[in-house]
Amino acid sequence: MGGEEDDDDEDEEDALVGVVISRMPPPSSIKKEFLKKWLVGLKALSNSRSSSTSKKEMSVLERKKAIKLSADVAMASLKNGTTSWSRALIQNASKDGNNRTLLKSMLGSEYDKKLRIGSTTTSIMCSKGIRNTTVLRRSCGLRRARKISKDQRVRAGLMAKRLVKKRTQVLRSLVPGGEYMDEYSLFEETLDYIMSLRAQVDVMRRLANASAFSSKS
Amino acid sequence: MSGRRSRSTQASAVSRITDDQINDLVSKLQQLLPEIRDRCSDKVSAARVLQETCNYIRSLHREVDDLSERLSELLATADPAQAAIIRNLLMQ
Repeated sequence: MGGEEDDDDEDEEDALVGVVISRMPPPSSIKKEFLKKWLVGLKALSNSRSSSTSKKEMSVLERKKAIKLSADVAMASLKNGTTSWSRALIQNASKDGNNRTLLKSMLGSEYDKKLRIGSTTTSIMCSKGIRNTTVLRRSCGLRRARKISKDQRVRAGLMAKRLVKKRTQVLRSLVPGGEYMDEYSLFEETLDYIMSLRAQVDVMRRLANASAFSSKS
Repeated sequence: MSGRRSRSTQASAVSRITDDQINDLVSKLQQLLPEIRDRCSDKVSAARVLQETCNYIRSLHREVDDLSERLSELLATADPAQAAIIRNLLMQ
């Protein structure tokens, strides 16, 4: 009986290794760091669950929010305050009192320090953006063959400017802390934010696949 | 005082940021966006890049959300032994 169970476990583990390792490239060090931090948050989750006698069990929705929050915070904390978006993300998270215990367990002593640094830099960063809508068109070096009247060109240029301005506003709403950045910083932060999101999604996906696989017994 | 000074240095700093630098950033964004990268990328307008960037970020947010939901259901019944196995495997 014991032997059979062991064999099953080994087979399952081998299969799991195959799924996780062979199909995907080995995770980068950043992703490993992210996973470590994220697991700290997830562990706090399961601890609160098992130790609560008076509270009801967490609903699926509550657990989902906690999982997402710990993932976001884990990714942001990896930056060690070097990017605006990560500072803004942590600041926004700490505004909700319910998140205190989770943030404290994940960020530890750096928790208070991060908050103080964040509040001063955001006040400095309110400045006018740069208008550079025609940059790409100018530097392309491609010229249109057909003639466009100057009037049309001017109008098209204005429309393009307005469109860029509108879309830049949308981007500001998507990147944490985006409202306080000048245009140049916004683009830089966006690049970094996208890279981090991709890594975060990759690790989350791996964990979800591994969990799904191992729960099929 | 210092506020005025920082504003003026910021103004000159803004004008010193060259078009090339902006270009560089936009092209880097272009590289990241799966929609644009695979097509002819010479003539992409700034507006287009911004639009695709926003779409991409939104889709990444959605993925995080979906994965969180999936994990919420999966990890509900996870025992500690399973968690240890998973952690070991993912760390390789």
